[in-house]
Amino acid sequence: MILSPAERSYLYDSLAKDELIRPDARADYQFRPIEVKTSFLPSSNGSARVRLTDGSEIITSIKSKVVLAAEEKSLIECDIDIPGFRDDSNFVANLKYNMTSLLNKSFPFESLKLTSKYAFKLFIDCVVISYSSFPLTFISIACYLALKSTKLPKLISDVNDEETAEQPLFSDDWENAQYLGDLNDSKSFNPPLIIVIGVVGKNLLFDPSAEEEQVLENGIIISWYNNDISTPIHNLNFSVHSNMPNYKGLSQQMIMKSILMARKHCANIVKALDQAIEEQTDDGVIF
Amino acid sequence: MADDRKRLSTGLVVTSKVFVSSKNGGATKIVREHYLRDDIPCYSKCCNICQLDVKPNALGEIPEFVLSQEPNKLSNGHPHYVIIDTNIALHAIDLLESAECFYDVIITQTVLDEVKNVSFPIYSRLRALVKAQEKRFVIYHNEFNEQTYIVREKNESINDRNDRAIRKSVEWYNKHLNTNNSKTNVDIIFVTNDKDNYRKAKSDGLDARTLTEYIDSLPNAEDLHDMIPQNITSDEQDMPGETSYPEYYSTARILGGIKNGTLYQGILNISTYNFLEGSVSVPAFKKPLLILGSKNLNRAFNSDSVVVELLPKELWREPSSTIVEEENVGEEGNVDDENEGENQVSTKIISDKERQLLAQEAMRSTSSKELQQQEKRLQPTAKVVAIMRRSWRYYVGQISPSSVQDDSSNVARNCFVILMDKLLPRIRIKTRKARELLGKRIVVVVDSWSSNSKYPQGHFVRCLGDVESAEAETEALLLEHDVEYRPFSKSVLSCLPEDGDNWTVENNSNPEDPKFAKRVDLRDRLVCSIDPPNCVDIDDALHARKLPNGNYEVGVHIADVTHFVRANTALDAEAASRGTSVYLVEKRIDMLPMVLGTNLCSLKPYVDRFAFSVIWEVDEDANIVKVDFMKSIIKSRKAFAYEEAQIRIDDKTQNDELTQSMRILLNLSKKLKSKRVKAGALNLASPEVKVHMDNETSDPGEVEIKQLLETNSLVEEFMLFANISVARKIFDAYSQTAMLRRHAAPPATNFEELNNMLRARKKGMALSLESSKALADSLDRCMDEKDPYFNTLLRIMSTRCMMAAEYFPSGSYGYPEFWHYGLAVDIYTHFTSPIRRYCDVVVHRQLAGAIGYEQLDLSHRDKNKMEIIVKNINKRHRNAQFAGRASIEYYVGQVMKNNESKQEGYIIKCFNNGVVVLVPTFGVEGLIRLEHMGDASTSIFDEDKFELSFTDLKGNNRKLAVFDKVHVHVRSVKDDTSGKRKAQLVLV
Repeated sequence: MILSPAERSYLYDSLAKDELIRPDARADYQFRPIEVKTSFLPSSNGSARVRLTDGSEIITSIKSKVVLAAEEKSLIECDIDIPGFRDDSNFVANLKYNMTSLLNKSFPFESLKLTSKYAFKLFIDCVVISYSSFPLTFISIACYLALKSTKLPKLISDVNDEETAEQPLFSDDWENAQYLGDLNDSKSFNPPLIIVIGVVGKNLLFDPSAEEEQVLENGIIISWYNNDISTPIHNLNFSVHSNMPNYKGLSQQMIMKSILMARKHCANIVKALDQAIEEQTDDGVIF
Repeated sequence: MADDRKRLSTGLVVTSKVFVSSKNGGATKIVREHYLRDDIPCYSKCCNICQLDVKPNALGEIPEFVLSQEPNKLSNGHPHYVIIDTNIALHAIDLLESAECFYDVIITQTVLDEVKNVSFPIYSRLRALVKAQEKRFVIYHNEFNEQTYIVREKNESINDRNDRAIRKSVEWYNKHLNTNNSKTNVDIIFVTNDKDNYRKAKSDGLDARTLTEYIDSLPNAEDLHDMIPQNITSDEQDMPGETSYPEYYSTARILGGIKNGTLYQGILNISTYNFLEGSVSVPAFKKPLLILGSKNLNRAFNSDSVVVELLPKELWREPSSTIVEEENVGEEGNVDDENEGENQVSTKIISDKERQLLAQEAMRSTSSKELQQQEKRLQPTAKVVAIMRRSWRYYVGQISPSSVQDDSSNVARNCFVILMDKLLPRIRIKTRKARELLGKRIVVVVDSWSSNSKYPQGHFVRCLGDVESAEAETEALLLEHDVEYRPFSKSVLSCLPEDGDNWTVENNSNPEDPKFAKRVDLRDRLVCSIDPPNCVDIDDALHARKLPNGNYEVGVHIADVTHFVRANTALDAEAASRGTSVYLVEKRIDMLPMVLGTNLCSLKPYVDRFAFSVIWEVDEDANIVKVDFMKSIIKSRKAFAYEEAQIRIDDKTQNDELTQSMRILLNLSKKLKSKRVKAGALNLASPEVKVHMDNETSDPGEVEIKQLLETNSLVEEFMLFANISVARKIFDAYSQTAMLRRHAAPPATNFEELNNMLRARKKGMALSLESSKALADSLDRCMDEKDPYFNTLLRIMSTRCMMAAEYFPSGSYGYPEFWHYGLAVDIYTHFTSPIRRYCDVVVHRQLAGAIGYEQLDLSHRDKNKMEIIVKNINKRHRNAQFAGRASIEYYVGQVMKNNESKQEGYIIKCFNNGVVVLVPTFGVEGLIRLEHMGDASTSIFDEDKFELSFTDLKGNNRKLAVFDKVHVHVRSVKDDTSGKRKAQLVLV
């Protein structure tokens, strides 16, 4: 919905106030409520669906393949598909670039290694079925959830193939497949996340809604991995429905402020997501 | 995975299976839907429930209840049904087939599937048992039944899951039949030798028994004991520390190694002269890899499919020029392998990098020409590191007398069985009847060969009869060559025409039938057949006549077998699996039932027969003007024997039309032949002999070398002519699947040794190999004035260097590779003997399709199915040849037994401890060991000159070399250990 100039001005004022008031009464660090379902695609290694109350919906599927590690540029390939947009459109390419660079910089690739020569390669496919605001955060949340629920077949052949070649063999029992997290030596496996932060005056707001987006003065994305800030961090025009008439430059302070804010709240976001996974029931019902 | 069943409708439930497929090193999660139903019957006549609720299958057939109402009783008087586990089916299939035990057996689908994955032949045998119904076997589809389907549990191996599924079926049967159902209580006995399975079944309260326990509980237990396979009975028979072979590599390592080129897969060929030397031909190297010594052979049998690894270069060897036979290695078998000590070298760890370098080295040394003579002879050696597929089958042999202990107690004891096939090791079996079985031909199977046992372990199957009795020997050689000789089954015979021998063309001439309408009536042509004397299965007949325009009309008429053998019938399947008829000296094993081969199809004289005809119009010089193919009706005027036909043609007083037409045929055949020879067709020789049987006693009388008459070649030329024309036609119509026959040019390396021999022994002679024409011409030039037989000898030896001709579907090779080297034609097939060769049957169907007579069956239009057919008939063809030769060899031995004589022989191979001599009159060859000719210590073996010199028994110096003519005493002796009669040659 495109806001009228009066609405825009009203919204801007209420968001720019010292004590900001968001139209849906959220605090600045609060996300819109999401509904989550994982591991529901039977033939994928991992899958997740994220739905918002406004009808936005994103589905992510992860498939694995055994590859010779030396022949691959990266062990993760992420593809984003948005109906109505060409794959090479700016919008899709931008989202894909951000996800790819996020995953390539912040991922425990060690856990994908099988032997000294072979490794799993993950193919992440995101379908943005519908969206109202800039979908990057939810894409990254869907990836987070899918990766957390990804299981990989268990290797039963020898791990050491330095001297003599061995073709990897896997247990044919899917029940033996292991969660990506369990393959990692360090105890916690937390895939990276991207947080989208809107800038209005001196205020920052997490997860701006479609209406909020129209009055933003700038947008920042911040990545979070392993309990810390990660890259990519940069500013972006989130506008989906309007050309952001209020758009202006970004002050350095705002960047610092956004990092501080992410530090303060991201751990809770991760916690909430993990809890959502734990609460999943294997009921086979997805609607 | 939780058992999430979803009911779709009454009686149908869907669930899903999830598993990981790791084909080619991948790891893919696979989800399959699996449907379950509730109306699968138990097939028992005792059951009062299932009978009420039978539903027809997709073909509308009602399932038949097979399990008996009054099943066989155990010795304790209980009637029982048997359910077996997979291992019993795999290892004790002979017992299952035995008429003495195992009646009313329930084969669960789980077992059937597992058997199919492990061994297809055993699967087919199991299927045949079920189909025959004689032993009341049924297949119970437990995996599709709602009540017996089970879901694999976490961490349960697939084997454990399958065992549990079988136990579930046992439980179900027991409950189903014996709770308010059957009037009589039927024991459901679960036979398993798997300890874990046995224990679990017992604790579930099932009646589980080991195979031995089950056999013991039968009334006739005593007779069956020896047939219990060894490897699965118990663990008592371990022979610890006897020897230890290296363990095989893991599957992961093999697949990885083959992929990166450090391991190679191929078929092992054991050398005929040295059972400790094998070779494996691998496409990567031009020369085969040598495998020396039993450690390196590592329990592989001849013709197993093995995986090998190269040995370091310092262990590369020349092929040995010493003869080693197992029987000479001694009873205890403790003669050390020649390279026992060298094995230490290869124990050090080598990396793949080094192996790849080694492989490159090996490739260089097998291909380059500029290397030194010595270097060049070195052949890369390798060791067996895994066996992909065993070639184990039934083996015929006899118990080695010295391995039988003197002890009258009735305890099963180990003894050795020496197999007829010299290339195989002796097999250890356990039997109580060792003494009874001495001097008999017996059939055994191999069960296992563990790494700590020096010999493979097997078990006794049955006794064929006395050594050297004609029946036992014939059956033995049929078994040894894997020839199916059992009578045709009921289902096959049911495909024959109902009238049987009374079938006639008239009764089957229905002008309404569109197919019959397409037949051409050729009964006015003067057709005759020419065959060997007393031939009953007449495949082919000929006619010729002069046309008004001066050209000739020539017709070749072939029995229309495919009129009777329709595709996709049991008869067709049987013929396809037999592949060919097998001709032995005293009997014939038919590919098709008698009534077809010798009557309905056979182009007998004076009666109307259906035929498939090829009619050419040719000019005076036998050039084709036009060719036509048609299904026809013919009437042969006369069936000639070769000699009879020859006499009739030569007889100037005979001038009737039939004789005239035969003269035309003869004339044209000579022109065809000269054209073929001009094109470079080879005239090779094999030392073929024929055994005359005394009619009264059917004892072999005398041996004669096969004679060839002009009429032989008359028929042959026209058959070639027809085959070539047909080949072109079907290739034109079915460019991917046409059934053709090719003969590859021999690689130059095959002739290397023969040419080396010629260079060393016969000045100025050499065989050139640029083309078949060049070879034919060079063979013609190799004449020795002093010895007219030399040329034939050379032809025999050249034949052995040739490649074998093979059948193939046209899509598997490019057109230039269709070339038939021996006949020097660009394309060839077999069309003219459909009664005795399956290839011809396929070709008939393809030709019928090509001329629009009928639709070609899908199986002959599908490249993969054609590959399967071709693979089988190539194998059957080869086996039939070997069986025929072995039969002749046996009878020649019997003839020689009574006719010890002095004969001329030729040395065809020279070793440092003996020579191999070929005796043309008997067509036999034999080895003469150095120690039987003279003083072994004085021998000098000149490898480059193929010459062995020594002091003979009389104290004279003697030199023997390849191609030398020698006089030998030929005598037939029975080898006591193998029971095989061999030609023994003694140098005069």
